[in-house]
Amino acid sequence: MASLVSEFGAMHAWAIATAAVVSAGCALVGTLLVVRRMSLVGDAISHAVLPGIVVAVLAGGRPGGVLVLVGAVAAGLLTVWLTQLLSTQGGLAEDAGTGVVFTTLFALGVVIVTAAASRIDLDPTCVLYGVLELVPFDTVEIVSVNVPRAMLTATVVFLLLASAAWLTWKTQVLTAFDPDAARAVGVPVGFVTTGLMAATALATVASFEAVGAILVVAMLVVPASAAELLVHRLHHMAFVAIALAVAGAVIGYMAAWYFNTSAAGMMAVVLGFEYLVAAVLAPDDGILSRLARRMWLAWRVLCEDRLAAIWRAEEAAAIQPAHATASVVSATPNMTQVPPSRFSQRLALTWLAFSGRVAAVDGGWKLSAQGREEAGVIVRSHRLWEAWLGRHADIPLDHLHPPAEWVEHHLGAAVRNRIEAEVGQQGSDPHGRTIPPESEGKGEGEE
Amino acid sequence: MIALPTIPYNTLVVAAGVAAVGFAAGVVGSLGVLRKRALVGDAAAHATLVGVAVAFLMTGRRDLPVLLLGAFIAAVTSLGVLVLLRRVTRTRDDAATAIVLGVSFGLGITLVSGITARGIPGGAGLEQFLLGHTAALTAADAVLLAGVSAAAVLLLVIGFKEATLVAFDAAFAAASGLPVAMIDYALVTLVAVMVVVGLPAAGAVLVTALVVIPPVAARQWTDRVTTMLVLAGCFGLIAALVGVGLSAAVPRLSTGPVVVLVAASIFVVSFVGSPSRGWLARWRRQRAVARGWAEGRIIEAALHAMQASASGSFSRHSIESCLGATVATNRALGRAWRGLLLRHAIEPVPASEASALANDSSHGISLWRLTDKGKGEAIERARRLAVWGDVLAVASGDARAFLTIDLPPPEAVFDAARLHAIRATVAASRP
Repeated sequence: MASLVSEFGAMHAWAIATAAVVSAGCALVGTLLVVRRMSLVGDAISHAVLPGIVVAVLAGGRPGGVLVLVGAVAAGLLTVWLTQLLSTQGGLAEDAGTGVVFTTLFALGVVIVTAAASRIDLDPTCVLYGVLELVPFDTVEIVSVNVPRAMLTATVVFLLLASAAWLTWKTQVLTAFDPDAARAVGVPVGFVTTGLMAATALATVASFEAVGAILVVAMLVVPASAAELLVHRLHHMAFVAIALAVAGAVIGYMAAWYFNTSAAGMMAVVLGFEYLVAAVLAPDDGILSRLARRMWLAWRVLCEDRLAAIWRAEEAAAIQPAHATASVVSATPNMTQVPPSRFSQRLALTWLAFSGRVAAVDGGWKLSAQGREEAGVIVRSHRLWEAWLGRHADIPLDHLHPPAEWVEHHLGAAVRNRIEAEVGQQGSDPHGRTIPPESEGKGEGEE
Repeated sequence: MIALPTIPYNTLVVAAGVAAVGFAAGVVGSLGVLRKRALVGDAAAHATLVGVAVAFLMTGRRDLPVLLLGAFIAAVTSLGVLVLLRRVTRTRDDAATAIVLGVSFGLGITLVSGITARGIPGGAGLEQFLLGHTAALTAADAVLLAGVSAAAVLLLVIGFKEATLVAFDAAFAAASGLPVAMIDYALVTLVAVMVVVGLPAAGAVLVTALVVIPPVAARQWTDRVTTMLVLAGCFGLIAALVGVGLSAAVPRLSTGPVVVLVAASIFVVSFVGSPSRGWLARWRRQRAVARGWAEGRIIEAALHAMQASASGSFSRHSIESCLGATVATNRALGRAWRGLLLRHAIEPVPASEASALANDSSHGISLWRLTDKGKGEAIERARRLAVWGDVLAVASGDARAFLTIDLPPPEAVFDAARLHAIRATVAASRP
């Protein structure tokens, strides 16, 4: 901290602190907006608070003062109310109504700012993307420390938002994920939603001097969206979003200082970068991990299909020795997907041979004990599923195979046994082929 | 003095160009709005700033065609990123739009601020793309804008049938073999084109209003797509022209906000005043229905009261007690009462007759009676209620399909034989 202060100076430290607090408040509100699919409502509100702020300033409010906060919240709620009016009274689609209302209110704000530029301390470009660099120069003295006014506002607003979130968290979660249930247990859902809109307006107006009216949407939505990809509980999401937002503010400010450009813009860019990293690398929902999971599943299906094919060929050979060719490895015509390439089949067989499940015999393949056990499980799943479908679904016999071909890779032992109990231990599938018994071994690798 | 004639010419050409942009934006935006893609253009619009800045950095010049080409590439790229985010991440549509919008605008601001801070020659004017600025447009620029706008409208006219079908019933369009996804992409790309050529007039932050507000205003006036398109085009044209003119008259005022406010005024007038869907018209229709119903209840009560009294007249009090509300306090009843008086369905009993009729208890209370016209109405209403009551009792499904608060004559709905059978059934079931 000391080195940071000496490096950037106290001015920069204050600016960074302001940016961090502002971003944290936005990220907290944004978490709820994102899970409630109201990101664009947040965007609309953040634009539309402008006329509220401007009118409040013209009426004698000071930037960051109570009057301005009230004006902003009023303008934000007005946006929501007008949009709803347009959709209920005019039959306008929600997005079209939003598009009309927020552009109009924002345009109104810009025109008033321009017209009254000589009387108020706001200029159109500051309105668009803020002047974080100038924040430290407008200070108030608190206990002999000169604190930037914007920092003071942002802190108060953040504490307000955080305590509101803390007190109403359970309600928020319920309203976000199951509004009908919330209504049923007596939660005033409309009131909670209005409260969220007011909170959005508050977070926006607190960020106004630092990042302007338009970049706020990045502060609201981007950290929360990144957090949503990283974790799966709502309160974890809120904490991660706040952490990401603070990191974005600090790194963004420093990068902007280094590259000599707009701090607010750079903060949005850093947040975008954080989102990109999360989208690619997130443990469960990241692009990479999803790709890996898919490839792993495809590989498992490929190997299991080879095993089952050899199993069936061996079965056929046992029944009709004249046609015995255990070398038929692509014996399962799969109607639901492109058949695997020769190369991938060869690869799968090589792996199966290497892991001791199959063994090569003069031009063909034969199962080892372990391989036979695993293949038996697959074939058993397949035929049980066909039997179950044949009993419960009105599907012609020749259409039973494709679904079974998929499901065979995903049935656990418990499900298999329940199906067996239900279809009766008749021992054969609708095609009249024997359903292999459950193996006694531990060959329960698949789930 | 010699240069004077060229100035009006330039201004005229710029005005014509901007008008063409407004018209085309309204037309293209109409289908965007109908397809419920109203806010897609907003993300593209905010991203254009990046394209403008990069194009400037790469060429070092501030020629409008170059900057707009950059803006277009950026807009399309941002839409591509949007599609990609929806496809490969778990992020939902609304958040994806907000992310693209916010981050690309941040990048644009970063680049423009960087250019300004470094004092690169000519870079200072890039901020004009934020809120729009037409003063610096040359005639050549305006011709370019008009040309692109005309091309966009032409493309839309060529693909009009397909685009309309997709906008109204995407599932049917897909079933009839249309490449719905391709048409969607084409439509969104056209919106991006309009957003880009709208930049000089409205600016990156507000240009989306140019493709949203005129169509929404036009929608209030008509239910026909072609009419809506033309009307939206005209609204866009007016908004662009008036906006540019007004902002030119006031120093320091950016074009974009004024254009948007003019368009918004057109919308408000449409929303309130349109004869079919307008708020005023709907309010009056609602009130007319309420008044008609209240009038019916008054004459019904009046008929009962007149038949009950020996004098063939009624006091207001007697029907008020029957209706459970007073004419003086209930506004719908009050309006209905005045309406009935106005069209001579009820009339006061003349003083000469009233004094003859009056007994002790009704002394001082003004008496009323139904005119022949009012009596006819009341009897007809009673008849309709009775017949509809029978229909409801026997064939409630049929009745629900036709019966409204207007209480149409049953003969207009059912053929006479059917009605007769229904009434006979009810009469038979009565003791």
